[in-house]
Amino acid sequence: MTAGATRDGGEIEALVTDRYLESLLALGLEAPPRNSTAGSIVDRLQPQVRLASERLAREAPRYHPSFRFEERVALRLAEIAASMRVREAAGAEGTVVPIGLPHDGTADPDDLLFDGPLDDRPDRVRPLLIGGALTSAALSLAGAAFAVWWRTRPGTPMARAVRAVGRGRLA
Amino acid sequence: MARRAIWNTDQPEEASPPRITHLDRDRALVAAARIDPARFEALYRKYLAQVYSYAYYELGDHHDAEDATERTFVAALTSLHRFVERARPEDGQGASTFRVWLFRIARNVVADRQRARYRRPEEQLETAAALADGAADPAAQVARRDEASAAWRAIERLPGDRRRAIILRFVDEMSTSEIAGVLGRSEGAVRVLIHRALRSVARDLDEGSR
Repeated sequence: MTAGATRDGGEIEALVTDRYLESLLALGLEAPPRNSTAGSIVDRLQPQVRLASERLAREAPRYHPSFRFEERVALRLAEIAASMRVREAAGAEGTVVPIGLPHDGTADPDDLLFDGPLDDRPDRVRPLLIGGALTSAALSLAGAAFAVWWRTRPGTPMARAVRAVGRGRLA
Repeated sequence: MARRAIWNTDQPEEASPPRITHLDRDRALVAAARIDPARFEALYRKYLAQVYSYAYYELGDHHDAEDATERTFVAALTSLHRFVERARPEDGQGASTFRVWLFRIARNVVADRQRARYRRPEEQLETAAALADGAADPAAQVARRDEASAAWRAIERLPGDRRRAIILRFVDEMSTSEIAGVLGRSEGAVRVLIHRALRSVARDLDEGSR
């Protein structure tokens, strides 16, 4: 058997499984009539795949968070919505970035909106410019650059004289 | 769950390509939320349980799932102006591209949480402490065991996208095309992921029953 034939066989099996899941999840757990299209799909399906599918469909509860959590987040969203309205009314530009959530490595909207496969997603923490304000990571970089400039700037004659006296005292 | 696209057939087919008249079932809610962000609440209430369930199945912890759910909806609200409907005919009637977009955010938020767990050893210690507390609470242990059936424990052992695809298919009842949108993969790739995942689960269940 060639690699191409194996691949095609796998894709056909996957397609049959997909068709079966469509009917299983649409019909609930009722067995499709034998003479129906869904029934003919069952005949072509690998039995162990069918049994695993039925178990997962039967044992897949959807959970609901607590009422307290639901209302707390609803209130938080309402507060953010209100702040967005105020910003829009004031004609401000930039993105509203909520604060108060624990830091978990990224808050960059571009990272959260990434739409490719997860394996291709950059795994990094970037300095972030938010509505004209710098985050702490970027601030520390800016601070370091400012300190270097402050130490090396030519300055006024008086400042140069003061620094020369200071260097003389240290020596 | 066979979904068909609704096409506008007012114009002859040869004159211009058919126009999609309705694909995103959340179009009205999204439009309202864009005008007035306070109206986002309707989308939040509608998808809260789905996003929370996805996060819970992925993270296995109610507290982490709540945190991920909150982050997801906050990010969705503040980025709603960047959402673009990209419905395709094969997505079919009733397909919600907003739901795909929302779950893509949830997927990224949950992945961040999983990476943070991996990066921070002190958090693992906290988890260990929590587990130790749980061990002292037989009721909590029983509840956890009941929640995770043998089949779903097999799912927990699956690698990344196979596990995500199964959760989205069975828990959130997404179509293959929606899952493809969430995972950033082709529909063919998603079908193969799910088929292989089911075969792995079947093998696990078979070995467990011996």
